[in-house]
Amino acid sequence: MSNKSTSIPALRLGFDVGRIGFFAGLVLLALIAALALSGIILNLPPPEKMDLLSRLASPSVAHPLGTDHLGRDVLSRMVAAIPVSMGAAMSAMAAILAISLPWGLVAGLAGGRVDMVMMRLADIIMAFPTLVLALAIIGFMGASLEASIIGVAAAWWPSNARLVRALVLSASARDFVRGARLGGASRLRVVFRHILPQILPPLAVIISLETASVLLALSSLSFLGIGAQPPTPEWGAMLNEARPFLVQAPHMLIVPGLAVTLSVLAFNLVGEGLRELLDKREPYEW
Amino acid sequence: MLRYILIRLATALPTLLGMSFVAFAIVSLAPGDPVMQELRAMGVVPRPEDIAAIKAEYGLDKPFFPRYFDWLGRALRFEFGESIATGRSVMDEIGIHLPSTLALAVSSFIGAVTISLGLGVAAISAGRWTRAGLRGLTIALVSVPSFWLALLLIYAFVLQLGWMRLVGNGSAPDLILPALTLSLGAGASLGRVVYERIRSEMCEDHVRLAIAKGLSPASILVGHIAPRIIGPLATAWANTFGALLGGAVIVESIFGWPGLGQLILQAIAQRDLPVIQAYLVFMGLGFFITSLLADIIVILFDPQLRREVNHE
Repeated sequence: MSNKSTSIPALRLGFDVGRIGFFAGLVLLALIAALALSGIILNLPPPEKMDLLSRLASPSVAHPLGTDHLGRDVLSRMVAAIPVSMGAAMSAMAAILAISLPWGLVAGLAGGRVDMVMMRLADIIMAFPTLVLALAIIGFMGASLEASIIGVAAAWWPSNARLVRALVLSASARDFVRGARLGGASRLRVVFRHILPQILPPLAVIISLETASVLLALSSLSFLGIGAQPPTPEWGAMLNEARPFLVQAPHMLIVPGLAVTLSVLAFNLVGEGLRELLDKREPYEW
Repeated sequence: MLRYILIRLATALPTLLGMSFVAFAIVSLAPGDPVMQELRAMGVVPRPEDIAAIKAEYGLDKPFFPRYFDWLGRALRFEFGESIATGRSVMDEIGIHLPSTLALAVSSFIGAVTISLGLGVAAISAGRWTRAGLRGLTIALVSVPSFWLALLLIYAFVLQLGWMRLVGNGSAPDLILPALTLSLGAGASLGRVVYERIRSEMCEDHVRLAIAKGLSPASILVGHIAPRIIGPLATAWANTFGALLGGAVIVESIFGWPGLGQLILQAIAQRDLPVIQAYLVFMGLGFFITSLLADIIVILFDPQLRREVNHE
């Protein structure tokens, strides 16, 4: 073996972009989770409580991040939106995985005609741009947060299934997997002991990066007014409500926008960092 | 080559057929009765025979599959009927809005490809700290939602600096801000792909050999790495174009750009089913053509595939 294999990524000393990014992402996620729970401790006003006398107020002691056009506290709405926005992204991602993981596994392992038919079916869905199909499904179901979750999941799963299939194909081509099969291991044993452990790390990268994109897509739909409906606190919907008041109340624009960006950033950092940590290749320097 | 394209088109037929079926089914199976809605929109208290007459006019009295084949036959001739909301023909509506969306998508696409190549190549050839900074910038740009970026740009350039106007008439200067919004996000996510691809090529032995021969980084990039990554990049470009067509909906609605996005949002709000169907078919077709172009680029730049295609 060359001496390249002696540098184990996890033990590399000093500055490492991947590791810093990964931990920064985890810290951000932890902060967001802590903020979601702090609503009770901070004694924030309820997110729906209107105070028409202090509409569009700038940040003050009573309202640390100001109020919106109905005099609702922006901070408490931002905090109350965490479980809504994050929960929507997580449930969409769970739905995507629930379809794409078995779909990709079966297609990759079965091969032949089964594989072809399954991938053709996925191709049909993938023939539409993702957001376009999601829009049509929402048009079908009528605008609501649930419809946007279903629309995004239905438009998203085929590309994910394709990735899972590619991972399964390259994992099952490894010599030790063939060896296990020749050694008489059952199909299930091969899948659970030899293939799944191989695809889990790259899958973790994919899940993290795709959760970021799903979160973006869902908040875009809410922003367009066809996702979460008012008065539900949701970051995209809050930004939509802020549009007429750009000049009078810029804080209504900054707060929910930063919230979406930082949450998406957290998932992206975790995914990219994880990828860098798992990547054992070393490019040749010039 | 022609033979390959014909084969590729033939194998795509089932997919296209399936696509048209999805477009039809999504809309036709939608809950709610479009006839009742139209009547209610006209302010008429419907009598049973009126309902039957309108159902016959739209062919809604027939069962599902005959209706699909009728619709498909007309869709092949690009006849999608009349918009329920405006009463104009759907093709006229699309003809009015399509050029604006294409102009927006194409200009953002050019911007995105330029930004991605710049970001990716700069990140590869920069020193360690600059590289970390550039990659951080890329991830940050990928994470900014386009609608927020659009609002921030409006706040800065329209409201504070006054360099641009918001209610445009669809002329070229009005295209700058929407195209910038779309190309920054798409360019950053493409830049991530460019960086990954170049990096994985740099782990290959042929690059090691080129370095050992004493070639300059620029000539290694252009002569050794570029031909090998253009294929995968073309596929990513096709996906980006599809994402831009979809992403245009958001940006158009913010900037008031008179494209298909405005049309579809209205159609969803009014449940204007013929428009939604036609929009789906056109977006699917546009995406299909881009993917076909990408596949041809992949073949042109891969000597092995090229030989296979020519000798078959």
